[in-house]
Amino acid sequence: MESRVLKPILAVYVAAFILFLYGPFFVLGILSFQQGPDGGPQFPIIEWSLYWYKQIFGLTPPSRIAPLPVGEALIRSLVLAFMTMVTSTVLGVMSAQAFRRKFRGSTVVFYLIVLGMMVPGVLTGLGTSLLANNVIGITRHWYTTAFATHVAYTYPFAFLVMLAILNRFDGSVEEAAWSLGVNPWTTFRKVTFPLIFPGVLSAMLFAFTLSLDEFPRSLFAAGGTEDQTLPLAIYGTFSVEIHPNIFAFGVLTTLFSFALLSVYGVLMGLSVRRARKLAMQEDIA
Amino acid sequence: MSDATVAPKRQGSSWLILPGIIWMALFMVVPILMICYVSFWTQTTFNISSTPTLASWKQFFSSDTYTGALWTTVRIWLIVLATTFAIGYPTALFVGLFVKSKTLSTVLLVICVIPFWTSFLIRVLAWRPMLGKEGAINIILMKMHIISQPIEVLLFTELSVIIGMSQIYCVFMVGPIAFMLGRIDRNIIEAARDLGAGFGRIFWKIIFPLSLPGVVVGAIFVSVMVLGEFATSGALSGRKVNLLGNIIVTQVGSLKWAMASVTGVILTVVMGMVIAVFLRIVDLKQEL
Repeated sequence: MESRVLKPILAVYVAAFILFLYGPFFVLGILSFQQGPDGGPQFPIIEWSLYWYKQIFGLTPPSRIAPLPVGEALIRSLVLAFMTMVTSTVLGVMSAQAFRRKFRGSTVVFYLIVLGMMVPGVLTGLGTSLLANNVIGITRHWYTTAFATHVAYTYPFAFLVMLAILNRFDGSVEEAAWSLGVNPWTTFRKVTFPLIFPGVLSAMLFAFTLSLDEFPRSLFAAGGTEDQTLPLAIYGTFSVEIHPNIFAFGVLTTLFSFALLSVYGVLMGLSVRRARKLAMQEDIA
Repeated sequence: MSDATVAPKRQGSSWLILPGIIWMALFMVVPILMICYVSFWTQTTFNISSTPTLASWKQFFSSDTYTGALWTTVRIWLIVLATTFAIGYPTALFVGLFVKSKTLSTVLLVICVIPFWTSFLIRVLAWRPMLGKEGAINIILMKMHIISQPIEVLLFTELSVIIGMSQIYCVFMVGPIAFMLGRIDRNIIEAARDLGAGFGRIFWKIIFPLSLPGVVVGAIFVSVMVLGEFATSGALSGRKVNLLGNIIVTQVGSLKWAMASVTGVILTVVMGMVIAVFLRIVDLKQEL
């Protein structure tokens, strides 16, 4: 059969595809160990060193190459991502909860929300800065205008995740609580929320990582240099000559992302295990 | 029954949608309407006033720089759409259809997603040491004696922008296509095979048509992102390739808000047409 010929060919192809996806990272990783401060961002490696990693943490003597302006930018980005995560997850859970009942205009509202992840950041960023700058006349900041656009981008993701979770949700547990006279808020807190918690975690993860890496929206909607988020600080180095310090920084941020992913994995594992434990107790009872 | 008694309590949940609607209206719909509105404002060197005029629109369509950016955007979008599809489809075919074990196909998909955990801008920048005159590709090709002179067109050209975008966005093609392929009932393929159809016929008559919704979803993802791009084109072309996004960034940088808005409106129109065409091909609501 053809698939016997085709399958190995495709397997080789997929290997090449993965090489294509990862190739630049290997090169980037290797070059981050370039000798400093004279080694440039290209081959050959003059001498392997940790110079550029040390430079990021300010452990090297000052040289002609300015260290990356990442310290405060990182804190701003983390705070912004956290604010965005909380807001968009709350909005996402609320909206998905509302969507469990059919209401008039639900299709329009659905598309209104989903549009937020489709419209390019250049456009929402530009529009928001026009609104702030030329119409209302307020100063743009990362924690005001940029925050608003970030949420408008991540909230649709949180909403879709929660919608998928609540679609498979068995409403009879809630009905049981209601018929026992528990009020809706307590029911949500004690019954619904613990059951949808894995979904909430995923929504939070989505919102946090998307916001942390969000660049076009911040570029327009955040103000000047005192408002720089991490991606903006990296973008700032684009226009000038690049040095291996940006590569070292790329390696570090990737490691940070993996740490974040591991935390998510552990929390997810714990909540799944707890759910299983509860199910077992129920079975025994 | 219980539904009847419970229903009144559930009634109250409709207001939950309000904060979301308000947020999206204020921070997405109003900003986009603003772009349309400001595109008709009067722009002077350092100022902008709300006196309506068509000046910026006329300027856009009479300047080669701006109309050129429009065509470059459309050209790069079409090329990247084609390359991501060509690169992604075989991978999706393997992951979604040929891999029998669920674990392996999940592992392969995770491998595809891992690069997204690196900052987008770093991913773009990673192509520079790869493509440059003294970059990895040239060094490898020279070591293998395939070329004697380094290839210089690799970096700071339209080609480098296309290579970079293809790598960054091809995964958005793989995912949806692999998902649709994975849902194909294997019995249909078996039945066609039993009736004597060759692989080519099975592919064109069964597999490809059934994967089409995935292709459309992937194409929408890729289109939306490529059309709104400016960072990749800026960083990998050495500012030689100007997309509509680049025009917006430079215009805002020099406080030419009206011109940036005109470009924004044109970008929105292009995007709307593209999505409308894709949704014509496949009725997503019916398929999903």
